[in-house]
Amino acid sequence: MPYNTESGVIGAAIHAPITAVNRSLEEILYDVVQAALRDANLVIDDIEGIVVACNDQLDGRAISVMAASGSVGGVDRDILSTPSSSEHAFVLGTLRVASGQYRTQLIVSWSPTEVNSISEAERLANDPYFHRALPLDEISAGALQAVALENAVPKARDLALAVVAKNRRNGALAYPSASGGTADPAAMAVSPVKSWPLREAMVAAPVTGAVALVLASEDFIAERGYEQVAWLRGMGWATEASFLGDRDLSCAPALEAARTRAYGEAGITDPIGAIDVAEVTDATPYQELMAYEGLGLCARDRWSARLSAGDFEPGGTMPINPSGGVLCINPVFCSGLIRIAEAAAQVLGRAREHQIPNARTAVAHAASGFAMQYQTVVVLGGKPARSN
Amino acid sequence: MAAPRVGIIGIGQSAFKSRRDDANYPDLVREAVRLCLADAKLGFDEIEAVVYSLSPDAMVGIGNAERLGVDAVGARNKRFLRINTGGSTGISSVAAAYYHVAAGACDVVLTAGADKVGECGASQTVLNKIWDPTYERPLPLGTISMLAMSATRYMHKYGMKEEDMARVVVKNRAHAARTPNAHLRKPTTIDEVMASRYLCWPIKLFDACPQSSGGCALVLASERYIREHNLDAVWITGVGHCSETYYIGDRMGNGFTADHADAFALGRSFQRAYRMAGIKEPRKTVDVAELYSPFSNTEFHAIEAAGLASLGESVSRMREGQYAIEGDLPVNPSGGTVCTNAIAVTAMVRVAEIALQMWDRAGEHQVQGAKIGIASGNGGDHQFFGTMVIEA
Repeated sequence: MPYNTESGVIGAAIHAPITAVNRSLEEILYDVVQAALRDANLVIDDIEGIVVACNDQLDGRAISVMAASGSVGGVDRDILSTPSSSEHAFVLGTLRVASGQYRTQLIVSWSPTEVNSISEAERLANDPYFHRALPLDEISAGALQAVALENAVPKARDLALAVVAKNRRNGALAYPSASGGTADPAAMAVSPVKSWPLREAMVAAPVTGAVALVLASEDFIAERGYEQVAWLRGMGWATEASFLGDRDLSCAPALEAARTRAYGEAGITDPIGAIDVAEVTDATPYQELMAYEGLGLCARDRWSARLSAGDFEPGGTMPINPSGGVLCINPVFCSGLIRIAEAAAQVLGRAREHQIPNARTAVAHAASGFAMQYQTVVVLGGKPARSN
Repeated sequence: MAAPRVGIIGIGQSAFKSRRDDANYPDLVREAVRLCLADAKLGFDEIEAVVYSLSPDAMVGIGNAERLGVDAVGARNKRFLRINTGGSTGISSVAAAYYHVAAGACDVVLTAGADKVGECGASQTVLNKIWDPTYERPLPLGTISMLAMSATRYMHKYGMKEEDMARVVVKNRAHAARTPNAHLRKPTTIDEVMASRYLCWPIKLFDACPQSSGGCALVLASERYIREHNLDAVWITGVGHCSETYYIGDRMGNGFTADHADAFALGRSFQRAYRMAGIKEPRKTVDVAELYSPFSNTEFHAIEAAGLASLGESVSRMREGQYAIEGDLPVNPSGGTVCTNAIAVTAMVRVAEIALQMWDRAGEHQVQGAKIGIASGNGGDHQFFGTMVIEA
């Protein structure tokens, strides 16, 4: 553990999907922040710093973090913003606590759906000369990644359908009012093509969502007497190149780099047996398959056998996405931070209906950008590193 | 907990200009990185993580444009994230890089970025989009009109005249003439400033920053790495941030949360940085300041927020020439933001310039004997403020 100060998650709130049309963005942010503070048994005066992540194109505002000042409690307080991804806000907040200069951090991210076309907003991320003219958005980039994986792995599409079915069953238990769609592979296979080979029933429509976490330092945790803490055990983050043509989309080298660092910090040499539950990014089911490999949970030649054996089900040997994942609830920009919040909830024992019994160590995988350009891996545990 | 020592070991800056037709956006970032790594005598292999400095996407016309900069900063398969706090992004990025090192996560971190403000079209049209679409965006708000209202309030409270604003421009242009990388380097006079056309009363063309293109990069390292490699460094000893309200209307009228004439949150940010650095009397301690002030009038309240003068006092001190390079307390010896503003890195340039001063490497605009310097950045609608103390 390289950090100067240990830290952990002491509270979180996930508000997704948000369907009320009478809540303004600021009310949505106020609601989720207050819920996270209540979960941590704190008030805003206990918060020393805030890290926010939001996306100007989806928000329709330049410098969209500005809207957070009053609603998240940032006036006369310290706000930084990581628009590269929601999970990067967690990374920076953790580094701030680990530096010893802060005892608490509030991490907030959101993703609205009011924009006329999310696809058009996403397409603005293409360089204006070579790729802007292409219909390249998150879904089509995910589809190109799916094609690459299908070329590399026999019957990958069948496996992808099995992943969707698993996560939809999980989502129906975890969040019954928002399980994303059918869990029947046969129905998925004949649903209209979204972006080949992805069909409409193989992904979840974007929803509005917001998420907030409260981080605290080891001395704050000791001073306040918290018994339930999701301690940071390891954290890695890395990026790939931007141009898809520069990448082999069937591989995830940045995920491997992030995983190597996170597991190294956590002292994990073999994740099998060391990790009790995983929450991974699955904007497409193919991404979840790549996470199996990238996190060292299952080599690609074993995907079929282990999915068939039910190993990744909530009652299996390695539960993956017991929340239902992004395939059930897809608040596009903040879905990565939600994976971390879900993993924390498992360690804190607050995952309600989808709680994995005795989950003491959880790994969260968050990915952002076209075809998972940014990869982040966070290992959370029930005990601090120095207790080992 | 005592702050871990983090040093700056390399600096790269473009020569800022109105246009850079010879370089696209990632090229400009790369230019700053190349200069910085050469200055630090490091290769990409030594860089463990990168903090990317980029303010509004709309300014470069590319959503999440940091993705296109990954190769420019050599970050492939490395730790990488982007910071955006508007105009303060540059100093916020240095702070984020600082936390990477201070946390113990990294020994060597690069922070870099660039902007092409001069090539973005109508920057004030872009910047109007920072306001809430329902309540304040329909007003003719831009960063100029926003800070023109601050100027009128400051005039009302403290008696500042337009000639006082012009005096700031004359001082900073004279400084910029001695700064090779500054954008507006032609000296000017009070008469010339007063004769320039109004943009938004009382701010005139010469009171306003230019729209600059160029990049900036810094390398930060841990004290252990610096000692082990026998490197030359200057030290970040204080880091602070603070925010104000989003709504401009909350800073005016009866019951405002902070007075728009002053820079309440900038002051709070400086107090935090000073506390961390152990500075109790900044007027007696600080040798030189690089304060983010894109319009001449805001240099006054920035000086006061930094604790270098009482509220309203900086105007008379400016008249006395105290803030010139040869004065008692030089402010913006590089020429400052009013002479160079590539928004994504402007506040990083403030840190870079103070680092050069601490290093005794500022050339013709060196403040002799400077050992403790301060830098600041303002972002959003005069909302996000970042500050640093740098020591030799």
